[in-house]
Amino acid sequence: MGYSRYSLWIIGFDSWKLGKSAIFFLVYFFLIKRGSESFFFVYGRPALLLLLGISVIRIVLKWFTNTYSLDNEAFHLKRGIFTKSKRTVPFNKIENTNEHTSFFHRLTGTTSIVFETGMKGDEAAVEFDIVSRTQANELKERVATNKDTEEADETVEVTEHKEQERQVHFRAKKKDLLKASFTSLSFLFLIPLLASFYFKLDDIFGVEEDAEGLVAFLLQSGWIMVTIIFLVILVSIGFGISRTFLKYGGFEIASDSDRIYIQKGVLDATKFSISKHRVQAIEIHQTMLKRILGLAEVKLMSVGEARSDEEKLESNSLYPFLPVHQAYEMIEAILPSYHVTKEMDRLPRASLFIRLMKPSFIWIIGTGVLWYFKPDVFAIPWWTLSVIILLIVSVIRYLDYKHTKYTLNASFVQFKTGGLSTSLFVTKRSKVIEISIKRGFVQKWFGVASVGIVNRSKPVHHSGIEDVPRELAGSFYQWYQGRGKEVERIGR
Amino acid sequence: MATEISNPNLTLSKDVVKVWTINELIGNAIGFLVLGTLFYLDHRFLWWEWVGWLLLVVTVVSIITAIWDIFFHPKLKYKHWRYEIDEEYLKLRHGAINEQHQLVPMSKIQSVATKQGPILRRYQLYAISIETMGSSHLIPALVKEEAFQLRDTIARYAKVKEEGE
Repeated sequence: MGYSRYSLWIIGFDSWKLGKSAIFFLVYFFLIKRGSESFFFVYGRPALLLLLGISVIRIVLKWFTNTYSLDNEAFHLKRGIFTKSKRTVPFNKIENTNEHTSFFHRLTGTTSIVFETGMKGDEAAVEFDIVSRTQANELKERVATNKDTEEADETVEVTEHKEQERQVHFRAKKKDLLKASFTSLSFLFLIPLLASFYFKLDDIFGVEEDAEGLVAFLLQSGWIMVTIIFLVILVSIGFGISRTFLKYGGFEIASDSDRIYIQKGVLDATKFSISKHRVQAIEIHQTMLKRILGLAEVKLMSVGEARSDEEKLESNSLYPFLPVHQAYEMIEAILPSYHVTKEMDRLPRASLFIRLMKPSFIWIIGTGVLWYFKPDVFAIPWWTLSVIILLIVSVIRYLDYKHTKYTLNASFVQFKTGGLSTSLFVTKRSKVIEISIKRGFVQKWFGVASVGIVNRSKPVHHSGIEDVPRELAGSFYQWYQGRGKEVERIGR
Repeated sequence: MATEISNPNLTLSKDVVKVWTINELIGNAIGFLVLGTLFYLDHRFLWWEWVGWLLLVVTVVSIITAIWDIFFHPKLKYKHWRYEIDEEYLKLRHGAINEQHQLVPMSKIQSVATKQGPILRRYQLYAISIETMGSSHLIPALVKEEAFQLRDTIARYAKVKEEGE
């Protein structure tokens, strides 16, 4: 079995990354503090160059030593300059694939691809930082086909599916993107950006005094002020819209018989794909603003680990601004084995009572703080503020009671929770890895119980619903006991 | 009624009451030692007046909880602790006031081990810890033979794997 090196472009790619992080230090040490005779800078300059040199050598050595090969079942990866390591990742452990094409990749006609597994730690994923597009497709194909044949002996069916065309379920149009850019409040992003730019400028050149003079001058003239404010608003809206267009432009959700494909981005393109039976649960999330506008975010919960939280949030989320009715339809179209019901049961009256009676720590601590400081806000006595806090807490709890709904049918459990922003959680019995039922003192009194569900994810995902009728908790327990009928068990 | 949760039927070893009582005795003794030290320091360095009052309140509360922890809670806990295993599930139920049921499929269990601390050793008892993908569970005290047998049975049942993992 021959091991091959990664693409030669990787040297360029790593140097580009190195350059990006080093440029600040280079400018600072050699341009801005050019004349400084301080100890720190006199020794810092050669040290910086030495460090850069070592990093470049490391990049080149890395290209020489890191190799990979793949056979019919697994990736084999070798790496390390001094400490060598060899790692085998079987294809059937791969949960999803993530293809990311940054600006650099676009320039060189390449892409990066990551195969994510369910394991923990740094070495959980197989990463190709740079591969040519054709090679990326070959890799994906290889992993996908082998996985299918491994899982079931329906090889014949699989080959049939291969010829089937991908079906596109959603493509973001201009109207959708405009809506998205307002819902996400992305036009507000300009403010922190400008602020951080200003402070950086101030750090380096000390422009604060000039800026103060400028502001004083502007304040003198009302007309200039109005014009400037108008311009700033215009620019930030434009900025927000273009940001959303760059991020979600070309957004597309597609699926074929056994995989789901999500792609997005204009300059920085990302393609994500996951095998349907590896979806652990579905979550439909709505913030208050989205609920008013009738939009929703659909998330597919999977086990594969994205390297950062942010990436994970983005990669497994279907388009975050889907119209609600379309979201429900799409789930059924993409995942026929999942079934989202609209009619759900409400909680009994008693749970509202329990919710309202529960001591609220925010209110207790808030009141304590108010009592101690007795702040003078608009001449309102401090206890009114305390009452207001209590009211807000109660309203949120009431909303939570109002929004909480559940259904339990043959092989699904579905529930909706949340006060201000709500989330609907749907999972299959076979994907739930553990359940628990709790009944506290007060809950027993009112004949209710709390149920908890654990799903595979990374780390495991806990969810649950509080204060459901006791009978439901009982049937839930029995429902889960019937799980054996659905999962095929393999002796080891 | 069909929707009632069936209680698992096996209990812990009766000696667990003594083990828990000893545990609570030790824990509370340490707690009171710390309190005593604080009282001494308060007296010696003349801390603010409210510290003395606070310590007094803490002491009263501690005495009440200590009585509960040592004389009542272990018996009550023992009375309500139940476990059961079959080929498919591990079932646990515990808690008198706050009752809790857990249902764990055998196929999701990743490791099972017997453990023994000094107090358990005195009564020839073993605890069994069960780890799954997402959580860990503990059956606090079983007689030696029972514990070993249970461990081996769980290990055997847990060998199954589900399709698609």
